[in-house]
Amino acid sequence: MTRNTRILMQCIYWAFVLYLLIPLALMMLMGFKDSKFIGFPIRDVTLDWYLAVFQDSQVLNAMGYSAIIGVLSTAIALFMGTWIAVALTGRSFWGRAILLGLTLLPAVIPGVISAIAFRIAARLVGLEPGMWAIIWSHAIHNVPFVVLVVMARLSTLPKSYGEAAQDLGADPIITFFRVTLPYLTPAMIGGGIFCLLLSFDDFVRSFFLGGYEPTLPVLIFAKLRSGMSPEINAISTVVLVLTAVLGLWAERSMRGMKKRAAND
Amino acid sequence: MTDAKDPIVRIEGVTKSFGSFTALHEMNLNIASGEFVTFLGPSGCGKSTTLRILGGFEKPDTGRVILNGQDVTALPPNKRNVNMVFQDYALFPNMTVRRNIAFGLELKGMGQQAIKARIDELASFLELTAYLDRRPDQLSGGQRQRVALARALAPDPALLLLDEPLGALDAKLRAQVQVELKAIQRRTNKTFFFVTHDQEEALTMSDRIVVMNKGRIEQDGTPEELYFQPASRFVAEFIGETNLLSGRALPGDQGAAGFDWQGHQLRAAATVGKTAPAQGAVTASLRPERIQVQRDRPTTENAVQGQVVNRLFKGHRMLLDVAVGDTVVQAYTDTDRGRDLADGPVWLGWNASSLTLLAD
Repeated sequence: MTRNTRILMQCIYWAFVLYLLIPLALMMLMGFKDSKFIGFPIRDVTLDWYLAVFQDSQVLNAMGYSAIIGVLSTAIALFMGTWIAVALTGRSFWGRAILLGLTLLPAVIPGVISAIAFRIAARLVGLEPGMWAIIWSHAIHNVPFVVLVVMARLSTLPKSYGEAAQDLGADPIITFFRVTLPYLTPAMIGGGIFCLLLSFDDFVRSFFLGGYEPTLPVLIFAKLRSGMSPEINAISTVVLVLTAVLGLWAERSMRGMKKRAAND
Repeated sequence: MTDAKDPIVRIEGVTKSFGSFTALHEMNLNIASGEFVTFLGPSGCGKSTTLRILGGFEKPDTGRVILNGQDVTALPPNKRNVNMVFQDYALFPNMTVRRNIAFGLELKGMGQQAIKARIDELASFLELTAYLDRRPDQLSGGQRQRVALARALAPDPALLLLDEPLGALDAKLRAQVQVELKAIQRRTNKTFFFVTHDQEEALTMSDRIVVMNKGRIEQDGTPEELYFQPASRFVAEFIGETNLLSGRALPGDQGAAGFDWQGHQLRAAATVGKTAPAQGAVTASLRPERIQVQRDRPTTENAVQGQVVNRLFKGHRMLLDVAVGDTVVQAYTDTDRGRDLADGPVWLGWNASSLTLLAD
């Protein structure tokens, strides 16, 4: 690479970083503004908007609601995704490619379409709009991501591990729980955190399948309609910080576990 | 010797194919209790297939495997009293050394006290006591190998399978582990079934070597039998260095076979029940270190004259290339003598027992 192209690449990189960060920085900044109107100039600074977030029971309830939905849908997605990944790995069988395609489909279907489909299906099976309907749609939407990371991890599992367990007297079930599953743990943690973030962030499915109680993104949307105020900036900033911390921690710990497993 | 009175393993008419590739052609073999048997051969010769059939990881197409008098052909690995040391050791990365060794004991339903006692016993025996609470990734290659051995020995198997377990070690460590492994086998008095493609490894450790080629047993005997009385050209070439002489078989006399090589009437080892033809074209094996090289005619049973054409200094000895007619024969000699024999005609001498007629 010549010197000039290197400089050009760096410029593009930094332009991208600025493009990404400026809106976020503005959002965070406006949350400190001591005025109802968003925009410059900022005359006074206050923490009131942030304090309000933690005192607003509506916001706190929505956060809790989103968290419960995130945790439960992630648990279901992990269970189903790992199960499917294990079933699809190993010996090939007729229809394996079709099954894999079907499994990955929810990840690529446009959100609105799948949300409408879920809504129709929920009515058909008599599932009331509300928490369980949202959990159901989130779980199915997230299964493909779990399947992909778990399959990637499974493909690196040496065949001899399972054989060694069997050789020492373990039946296939014990082998799965004591050897295969621990080996998959880093991928499951990584996939799980990703699911958690996807679920926490989801608007379309939660909107279409929700009952009267709003998830956090739905609440923010509702508040937006009654007018933009720095309170929304404050809420968003809190969510941003929480999810960023969670994501970075997951990335770090997963790298550590993978390194340890790779070194064995 | 192969049909010991009390075989712990009997392989009866076992064949195995993978698609159109026949890995094993009707194998029959008995293994005596307490034997260190090595299956030796190039890759694809069927040695690993035999090991995996004994372990239960492959089912033979035909034939039976009898372990301790019981037909185990249909039993999966977890139902057999056989344990294996894997080529990559396959230590469970999420468990400490202690948990790894305990794995098979727990599945046997052994009590916590007994498990602890067994682990301590094995750990002190294999010098692993200091590492019991480490994870496999915190151990060196040699330590991992010993953990794999401890884990496989822990459930007290009737037969221990070892799948090229020294392949991952460096040359120096490998030599040391060979000695250790043999010592461990003697002390535990276990039956070891060792698979390798390394002939040197096989010679050092085994009580008995089974040489495999293309899915068939080529020869089965002690290391010394294999080395000095190879049954076939394949065995002679595969084990150690040798000179292969092409000539004609002649009628033998008083306990020796006859061999006509470049007009020399030579005496060869009487082929004891081996398949070398008694007449016609045949190849004979002559180990380079069994040949005496000197200026004067040696008093050995066979003696031929030749010309030194090349010398290779190997430290404690020297390898001479001696042209005899249109063939070059390699012979070892000690370094001082080799220096004296630099040029000119020399005599090569050897006894009948050193010249083995081979089946092709």
